[in-house]
Amino acid sequence: MPHFDAAYNLARWLTRSPGDADDVVQEAYLRAFTFFDGFRGGDAKAWLFSIIRNTCYSWLRKNRVQDLMTEFDETMHGDTAPSPEALQLRRADAETVRDALAKLPAEFREVLVLREMEDLSYKEIADVTGIAIGTVMSRLSRARKRLHDHLVVPEESRT
Amino acid sequence: MTCKETQTFMDGYLDRELDLVRSIELERHLHDCPVCAELHRSRMAVRSAMGAGALRYEAPAALRQAVRTKLMESVRSERKPPFRVNWAAFGAFAAAAAVVVVLFLRPDLNRVQREVVDSHVRSLMAGHLMDVPSTDQHTVKPWFAGKLDFSPPVQDFSPQGFPLVGGRIDYFGGHPAAAVVYQRHQHVINVFAWRSTESSRLKRSGRDHGYNFVDMVRDGTEYWVVSDLNADELDQFVRLVLGA
Repeated sequence: MPHFDAAYNLARWLTRSPGDADDVVQEAYLRAFTFFDGFRGGDAKAWLFSIIRNTCYSWLRKNRVQDLMTEFDETMHGDTAPSPEALQLRRADAETVRDALAKLPAEFREVLVLREMEDLSYKEIADVTGIAIGTVMSRLSRARKRLHDHLVVPEESRT
Repeated sequence: MTCKETQTFMDGYLDRELDLVRSIELERHLHDCPVCAELHRSRMAVRSAMGAGALRYEAPAALRQAVRTKLMESVRSERKPPFRVNWAAFGAFAAAAAVVVVLFLRPDLNRVQREVVDSHVRSLMAGHLMDVPSTDQHTVKPWFAGKLDFSPPVQDFSPQGFPLVGGRIDYFGGHPAAAVVYQRHQHVINVFAWRSTESSRLKRSGRDHGYNFVDMVRDGTEYWVVSDLNADELDQFVRLVLGA
């Protein structure tokens, strides 16, 4: 099945649970099949992603409302970052990065997954998520800033 | 470029989404401003941490199999009802039964077209592109011979840029059809063929739901060629395969 791993990866990151990702992917592929009349050519991958995403969000709305709440913490969106931490980040192991990413709100996780793992362009991310291209950029910016903060804080508290 | 603008455009710059002029201005600013240069470094560090982390989850094989099975089941149940009866209009139609008979006798090209395009889309979606995945015509051709009472066009056109990738059996209106699968770059081309009730029909081409198709009947065999490939290249392919 086309894009199956990519679809699973997105569902897995959005639901943060293997069992729930299974359910979401299964439901989304059946929906994709049922509604393929709604597919007017173009990018099948983006179309499939948007179905996966919508299925995930209906699922999250039903089961985990707190995941959807966005924390608009503008103090986190500061100007600078101290320098030695950037170097520590490079050594962050897979497990640490995975945990840090899982802690982010869903809207940050999804843009990071689509951009960093699936290599989608801003235009494609905008198509999948239904947000403006400018918003894709600012959301990625806040997501990376937040991820960075999650990754450096444990190192700081150790010293 | 100011610090504020640099911060706004930093991620677009890193993701290569920024236009050339702004990218150059941003790089110039990074060169002159240590504060923004530090932001750039920390963003790069986050990106490389994500890249090095091997964060992607792979779909479990059991799930893949479960979804495939479910899709196949729903494909089968979709195919069962051959047509829907509009009961409200039934009375009116009863009076015009003769017309209906005539319509039934004529091959309904639109319906066939929908079935063929749907089958093409399903073959891409359900991961059921091929029953016999082979680039070797001497493998694919005999495989069909045991299953059909006619011989579909199976020939590898790799030198011309249309490699053979495999074949499978589909069903249209209750009778088996061959689906020979070719490829042009990343575009999949399905060549459907089955025994027709007509002896010949002129070549026709069109577009349906974003897919191009060419159809014709020759020597009692009906051919439908469907792909998301552009119409010109598809026509070139049809000339190659069907010689028309």
